[in-house]
Amino acid sequence: MAGEPAASLACRGVTRRRAIAVIPVLEVALLAIFTMLPVVLQDYLTVFVTRVLILALLAVSFDLVWGYAGIMSFGQALFFGVAGYSVALLARDWGVTSIFLVLPASLLIGLVTSLAVGGFLLLGRRAPTTMFVALGTLTGSYAADRLARGWYYLGGQNGIPSIPSMTAGGYGFEEGVVFYYLVLVILVLVYLVCRFLVRSQFGLVLAGMREREARIAFFGYRVQRLKVMVFSLAGAIAGLAGGLYTFHEGFVWPNMLGVTLSTQIVLYALLGGAGTLIGAVIGVLAIEIASFWLADSYPLIWPIILGLLLLLVIVFRPGGLIGFLLSERERVGFFGRPPRREGQHGAA
Amino acid sequence: MNQGNGSIHAARSISRRRLLHSAAWAGGAMATGVGSWVIRPGWASADGPIKVGVATDLTGAIGYAGNANANVAKMVVADINNAGGILGRPIQLFIEDTASNESVAVGNVRKLIQRDKVDLVVGGITSSMRNAIKDVIVTRGKTLYIYPELYEGEECMANLFCTGPTPPQQCDDFIPWLMQNGGKRFALPAANYVWPHKLNAYARKVIEGHGGEVVFEEYYPLDQVEYSATVNKIMTNKVDVVFNAVISPGVGPFFKQLHEAGFGQRGGRLACVYYDEDTLSINAPSEIEGLASCLDYFRAVGKEDAASERIQTEYDEEFPGRFQLSAGAGATGTYRGLKLWQAAVKEAGTLDRDAVAAALDHAKIAEGPGGPAEMVPGKRHCKMKMYIAVAKGGEYQIVSQSDGLVDPKQC
Repeated sequence: MAGEPAASLACRGVTRRRAIAVIPVLEVALLAIFTMLPVVLQDYLTVFVTRVLILALLAVSFDLVWGYAGIMSFGQALFFGVAGYSVALLARDWGVTSIFLVLPASLLIGLVTSLAVGGFLLLGRRAPTTMFVALGTLTGSYAADRLARGWYYLGGQNGIPSIPSMTAGGYGFEEGVVFYYLVLVILVLVYLVCRFLVRSQFGLVLAGMREREARIAFFGYRVQRLKVMVFSLAGAIAGLAGGLYTFHEGFVWPNMLGVTLSTQIVLYALLGGAGTLIGAVIGVLAIEIASFWLADSYPLIWPIILGLLLLLVIVFRPGGLIGFLLSERERVGFFGRPPRREGQHGAA
Repeated sequence: MNQGNGSIHAARSISRRRLLHSAAWAGGAMATGVGSWVIRPGWASADGPIKVGVATDLTGAIGYAGNANANVAKMVVADINNAGGILGRPIQLFIEDTASNESVAVGNVRKLIQRDKVDLVVGGITSSMRNAIKDVIVTRGKTLYIYPELYEGEECMANLFCTGPTPPQQCDDFIPWLMQNGGKRFALPAANYVWPHKLNAYARKVIEGHGGEVVFEEYYPLDQVEYSATVNKIMTNKVDVVFNAVISPGVGPFFKQLHEAGFGQRGGRLACVYYDEDTLSINAPSEIEGLASCLDYFRAVGKEDAASERIQTEYDEEFPGRFQLSAGAGATGTYRGLKLWQAAVKEAGTLDRDAVAAALDHAKIAEGPGGPAEMVPGKRHCKMKMYIAVAKGGEYQIVSQSDGLVDPKQC
C-alpha cells in the first residue's frame, strides 16, 4: 500500500485505458446474489444474512477510514455500540420505535460521538501518529465497554433485553424477509455514497493523505480537518449499523462497544482487502459464513480453525481475499471525472 | 456465497452429513467426553420425535459448566427414551454452543428455533446470556424456555421457567446458620455485575433482619486478582463472616490471601453460595478449610438420598472426566427442568406450548439430584430442598438441610 509511487497516481487521470474491471463485476454479482437470497434461503438463514449485511455496513465504515484515509480506527465498535445503546434506551424508556426517528437518531449519535472522539484525537496542535490514533480509539472502545458493564441504568453486564420491534406506522419490523430488504437497501445506498466519495476528487486527496500526508499538506489542504470529516462520516455509518443491529437482535450488551468487536471489524476489512469497499463486504461474508459453518461442524475447535485461516490469508495475501482477483492498479483506481482533452486546464 | 447456497443442500442432506460427523467425532468423544450434536433416539414413532434443544456454553470461559449441562441433558434424554419416550414418542436432542458470546449465541439459538423447530430450549448460564436468548426463544420464537442456573431472581417472563435456586433459597436458612457458626459482623466483597448486587441486596436484608451487621459491601472489577486491601480491611475490622461473591479469576487469589492473613485461624467463617465441587478445586484444601456454601445439591447428599446417589453414579459412569454433575454449573437445574417438563408434557398430552406451560406451572417430581422439586404455581420458579455444606479436607460435609422444600419467593 505504502509502496505506490506517487507519479503513477498523478498520471492515472490521463491514461484511462481499462482492462476488465473486476470491482464493478463483483459489486453487481454480489448485489444480484443478495437480491435473490431470501427467495432461495430458509427463513433462519435469511435472518442470519441480515445480520451479516448489518455487519457489512460496519466494515464499510472502517474501510472508509483505514482503507482510504489511512486513519487506524481501532474503536469502530464504540460508535456502533453507543448508537445501539442510545436507541435501545429510546425504545425502552420513551417508547420511541418509529423507523423514521430511530435510524436518523442512530446516524446522528454515531456522527456526534465520532466527531467528538475524532476532534479530540486528530485536531491537536501536532499531527497525531497512526499509532496514537489506533491506541486512542482502542482506549475509547475499552472505556465505554467497562462503563456499560458497571452502569445499572444500562443493565450492567446483562445488557438491555426485550427491545420492542422497530415500527413504521402500524407495521412492526420483525426479523425476516422485510427486515432483510430494508437492510439491503440501506447498505446499497450507503455503499453508493461511499463509492462516489472515494472516487471523487475528495477521494484522491484522501488517497494522497494515506500515501504521503506531508505532500498533501504542502498543497495547502488542512489534512487533519479532512481526516475528522471522514472519521465522523464513518462514525455515522457505524452508528446507523448499531441502530439496525439493536432492533434486529432485540437486545444490546457491553460487548457491542468493546475491543472484541472493534478487532473483529479490523479483521473483516483486512481479510477481504482494505481500500476497495467491496473487499470489506467480502471479508464480512467470508468470516461470518466460515464461523457459522465451522461452529456447526466442529463445535469445540472452530475458533482455532478460523484463526488459522485468517492468519494464512493475511500472511500470504496481504491484499486480502480480493487480492486473488484484483490487480494492484485497479485497487488504486481512478478519481473524479476524466479531464477533457482540449481547451481545459488540468484541474486535478 | 457458494457456502450460503451450499447450506441449503446441507440442510436437506443433513442426516448423512451428521452421520459422517458423528462417526468422525466418535474418536474425539472418547477423549473429550463430548459426543455428536444431534442425538437421535434409537427408535422411531409414527409422529416423529419430540425435539429438545440445549443451548449452552460449550466453549469459552465457562465451558466446563456448559459441558456438564449438555451431558446431563444427554443422560436424561437417553433415560426417557429407554423408558419408552413421552406420549409414545422418542426425544431427539439438539445441542448448540452459545460460546460464552451473546452475539454468537443468538445466531445459534435461532438455528434451534427456526431450523430445527424444537419444542423446548433448556440452557443459558449467565444472566446476560439468558437476556440475550430469551426473546429469540420465547417472544419471537414462541417456544418454551427453561433456565437452569442459580441466579439473582426477578425473571418473570411468561413461558420462561427457572429451575435453579434464587437468593431467598440460598440466604434465608444460610445466613442465620452463618451467624450461629461464625458471628454477626459480615463483609460482602463481590465482583461488579448484576448477580452479586442483587444477591447482596437480599443478603443484607436478611443479615440486618436477624440483628447482624454489614461491615462493608464492596464491588471490584471482574478481572481484579489483587485483594490485599480488602483482606486488610477484613482483618482490621474484625469481620466474622466473609460472604463472598468475587468470582473467578479473582476468587482463588482472594481466598489464598485471606487464609495467609490468618482469617481462618482467628475463627473467621468463609461463605460463598456458588461454591460447588467444581470451584472447590481452585484453592488448596487447607486454604478454604471451613468454607460454607448453600446449594440445592452436593455430592455428599447421596449418602442420605438414594435417588441422588443413583443419578450421581449413573452420571459418573457415563461421563467420567472433568465435567462434574454439580449445582453451581446449573447441571442439577438442567436435570430438574427436563424432568419437570417431562411430567408436564405427560399431563398435557400434547406439545402445544400453552398447554405444556399450563401443566409445567404446577409440575412436580419426586426424585432428582438433591431430592424432590415442584414448580410454584403462577411463579415459574421452583421449590427445592436446600443444603448447607462445609468444606473439610477438600470435600463437602452436609451440616444442615432445609425441613421441606424452600420457596423461591419470586414474581
